[in-house]
Formats: sequence, structure tokens, C-alpha cells
Amino acid sequence: MGKPLRIALTKGRLEKDTVALLETLGYDCTAVHEKGRRLILPIPDGNLEVVLAKAADVITYVEHGVCDMGVVGKDTLMEMNGKLFELVNLGFGKCKFALATKKNYPFYDGFGVKTIATKYPNVTRAFFENKGMDVDIVKIEGSVELAPLLGLADGIVDIVETGTTLKENGLEVVEDVAQISARLIVNTVSLKMRQQEIEALVQKVEEKINDKAD
Amino acid sequence: MRRYDLITPEGTRDYLYEESALKRIVENSTRQIFRSMGYSRVITPGLEFYDVFDLNSGYIPQDELYKLTDNKGRLIAVRPDSTMPIARVVATRLRDADLPLRLYYTQPVYHFTPSLRGRSTEVNQTGIELIGSGSRMADVEVISAALSVLSSVGKEVDFHANYSLELGDVRIFRELMHRLSATPAQKEEIRSLIESKNYPALNDMLDKLGDNSITRSLRKLPTLFGGEEVFDRASEVFQDERIEEILGSMRELYKTVCAIRKDAKVIVDLGLVNKTDYYTGLVIKGYLEGYGDEVLSGGRYDMLLSEFGYDQPAVGMAVNVDAVATVIGKKYTPEQAAPDVLIAADEGNEAEAVRRAEVLRGKGLCVEFALDVDDAQDYAAARGIHKVIVLTGNTAEEVEL
Repeated sequence: MGKPLRIALTKGRLEKDTVALLETLGYDCTAVHEKGRRLILPIPDGNLEVVLAKAADVITYVEHGVCDMGVVGKDTLMEMNGKLFELVNLGFGKCKFALATKKNYPFYDGFGVKTIATKYPNVTRAFFENKGMDVDIVKIEGSVELAPLLGLADGIVDIVETGTTLKENGLEVVEDVAQISARLIVNTVSLKMRQQEIEALVQKVEEKINDKAD
Repeated sequence: MRRYDLITPEGTRDYLYEESALKRIVENSTRQIFRSMGYSRVITPGLEFYDVFDLNSGYIPQDELYKLTDNKGRLIAVRPDSTMPIARVVATRLRDADLPLRLYYTQPVYHFTPSLRGRSTEVNQTGIELIGSGSRMADVEVISAALSVLSSVGKEVDFHANYSLELGDVRIFRELMHRLSATPAQKEEIRSLIESKNYPALNDMLDKLGDNSITRSLRKLPTLFGGEEVFDRASEVFQDERIEEILGSMRELYKTVCAIRKDAKVIVDLGLVNKTDYYTGLVIKGYLEGYGDEVLSGGRYDMLLSEFGYDQPAVGMAVNVDAVATVIGKKYTPEQAAPDVLIAADEGNEAEAVRRAEVLRGKGLCVEFALDVDDAQDYAAARGIHKVIVLTGNTAEEVEL
């Protein structure tokens, strides 16, 4: 066996879902469960190596080819826009990007330029560019919901899962921006140089996902 | 207040000693290959009018260009690409020259890159352009140059990197898109999804455009990559006379390339569809193990020169010198060879020192002068120089260390 295929997983929920998926495919993920503080973990029987990283870093590692593959949310992919192959929609980690405002706020009324608070300035810019609409974008790091409540912004573009946080703060979704779920990404050179190994794994993953969907 | 006087702009760097030696290794070996194939060097300016890069057959997005204005207020771009300026030179100064023209270049190109992503703004490229022939032999010639470059990576330093050469042809994609009824925005979306092999999103997108032979073919296009079996799979998918013709000529080319070098790993990808390309047919990419992006790219561009008023077919390719140097540098550190001889001369003997040095240099030795006579031997020892010649008064003394 050659060098193991290195796959970067987004720490947290996507990591758990991915490990569960790998286990249903028959891979022994003991090392990942008992990781302690280690960040590079072997899955010996699959000739795989798991790397744990934050979402944006998964993309960076795969883009540079230091990891062959990665599992990351579409939200981060849309914001980062890297050069890579996005082979599989894994189906888990589902949520959406949405534009939200205070309840009954006349967002599209009037001629003034609107201000949007968001953690995802690139996604927001692309969304409003498509509409041909000028907006001011303010980057917020923490709870974006605060910005319209405090009067800093007219609306927010953020990830919405259940909508509970919005509701509790008197906000509502005005428009969906994009659907989000976890994606399997692959480095552009790795796919070509290690086509057979990667395609074999991708095929197994796809079969499993389609089984679940049926 | 000066704040930025001690550092270089993001995405640029200084190359010292080993790093510059690695680059020289790559540049020398590629230059040797190109010259041995009959190519002559061309140097184009670092600054060009913006218009050179704003063409119908291929353009560089303006947010990637470094721009400035000249003293008449005209828009200038810092060279982002060497092929377009060379097309300009050929269409103007070389218009009456005999064809074909074989030109090579070694010069940097500049692109704005997203900050803090570890990408370079300044990329050193070396490449060839073969202008005035649309023949298959011209394609084979450029591909063979690419193979020579890839297979000789690190040869001088006894280092071998696994490589693959990839062939594609944009005509299949263009043909399908030509027949597809969709808005330009939809077509661009389809192109970008094929480029990123985003199968799920591509399927969703094509679902909206209905189920017919064209959308079915487009769905399969990005999956059609691998070895020779790809051609059979493609014929099955497309079942179209015009595309079969393109596939047939590609397959012949593929076989020819495989026959050039038995050990070469040659792959095919029918889903190579870049946005800003001027390519009109064959496209090639080269990969090296240990580098996460292509190290070589090129193709046929039969429409580019006509934009400068000279209708000629052409084919070419460029090597990312920095990328190749990085790959070699992971396994090999060039040694900084010490000079062979140090000459120390006291006052009055300077001319004699230079004369002796020139004689020795003529024999191929590297000779340094000691700038402090009293310290010469210590200096030589520290520098690793094994021979010191000391000229004092009328005496010359040779010391072996």
C-alpha cells in the first residue's frame, strides 16, 4: 500500500456524521474516537488518514493539496470560493443561508441603500450583486441577530437551521439565499493522480447516501 | 512615515541562495529543452496596455489585474499572461516573418490573489509558443516539450518526481453548449459546475433545462476522465457524429503521446473547461506529485492572433517555474559551493592579484579576493576555501588549507 489518502474533516458535528458514515462503510475509526489531543489520525484498514480542522482550514488544506479530500459545509465553500472539485453532496449538516429582518420590516421598500450584517460577506455580496442591488455590508463576528435589533443593520444574511433563534429575537426570514449541506471535496491534482483510490471511496459513499435517500 | 520599507508586498518574495539556485536549475533545464527544439527567446515588457488583455476570445477578469495609468492617463496592466503579449508581437513586428514561428519566454506574470491563502501574486513562468500551424504535428511537438519538461524535473540533481500529463479538448464542451438552449448566465453556471466537477449541483441545474441528449451528455462530461477507456465511455455517452470526430482525433493524439514515452502517465479529462481561456481545441495540464495545483498548462489557441489582426493558428504551453522549484526543493537543497581560491594582496599588489585571478578564472576556477589581508586565512577557513594565495611585497605564497 502506498501513502494513505488524507481526508480533512470539519471538527464538530460534521466530523461525527462523517465518522458515522465511514463506520457504516466498514472502516475502523477507533483512533478517531480515542483521539485525545491528536489532530492526525489513522484509519489503518482503509489506508486513510483523518485530519481534524476548522471548516475554512479544511478548504485551505485541500486546495493546497496537503490533504487529498475533505468534508466541509457548503456555507464555507460559498464564502471561500476555492479551486477544488466538489464531488458529492453528503446530505447531512443540512441548513440554509437566508436573508432575515425584524418582523414585518419593509426591507425592499424605499430608495435608501440597505445595510446588511453578516458573518459571510462574500455570500452576501454575491447574492445582492445577482439582484443588481447595492447594499452596505457590515462584518459581524458573533450573534448577527443583534445588529438589526440594535439598529445597525436593516437585515442579516446568516445560517438558519430551525429558525428558533430568529423567532425568539423577533426576526423572520424574508428570502432564502441558498441551501446548505456537507460536501465531499477533492484536490484537483489528487483526483487525477490517485483516481482509482478516490473514485472507489466516492462510489462507496454515494451508494450509501443513495441507500439512505431511497 | 515609512512603514513598508523593510518588507515585500504580500504574494511576492525575495529569492536568496538555495531558493534562487533552485529556480535557476528549473530555468536552465527548460531553456535547454526549448532551445534544443529550435525555439528563440522573446522578452515582452512587464507593462502593457490594458487592451491587450481585454479580448473576445479570452480575457483576464479586471479584479485579478494590477492596473496603473501612464502619463497620458491610459490604462496599463502589469503583465498577467505572456501568451497574449506574444500574440501581439507576432501580429505586428513578426507579421512578415516566415512561419512557423517558435518562441520561448521566461518571465514573471502578476495576478491579484486572495490574501492570506498562501498563493503568490508574482509567478515565474517559462513557456513556448508555436505559431502558424494547425497541424497535429504541432500539437505533438508542444506536448512532447511538456513531457520533456515534466520528465526531466530534478534530473540534474538526481531527484525524480512522479508526474502526469493530462489532455483535454474544449471543442466537445463548446459543441454541446452551442446546441443547448439556455441563457448566457445559465451557460456560465454550467461551465463553472463542470470545471469544479460539482456533480450534484450540475445535475440540479440541468434538471431545470429538461431531459434531452444534450443535457444528458453535459451531466456526464465532468466524469469523463482517466485513461484510454475514457474514449469508449465518451462515444457511448455522446453518440454524435461531430463529437465522435473530435474524440477520434483526440484518441489518435493520446496514442501518439503514449508512444513517445512508454513510462509516461498520460490521462484524459473531457471536463477541462476554464473560464478565461483563449483555447480553441487541445488543452494540456501537467501535474507533479507533491504539488496541489497544476505545474504546467497550455493548449491550442487558433483565434487569439486574429484579434490582433493576423489570422494564424497557434499552440503553446507554460511551466510554473516556482512550483517546480518548490517540488524539487522539498527533496533537495542546493549546496552553496565555496570559491576554489582566495587571493590576498597587500597595497601595491592589487593589479597583480586581479591578473592572477583572471588567469585562474579562465581555467574555470572561482576566485575571490580577500578584502582584509591580515584576516585572509581565517576568512578562507570560515568560508571553506581550500587554497589561499598571499601576495606581499615581491613574494607570492600559496597556502593549502
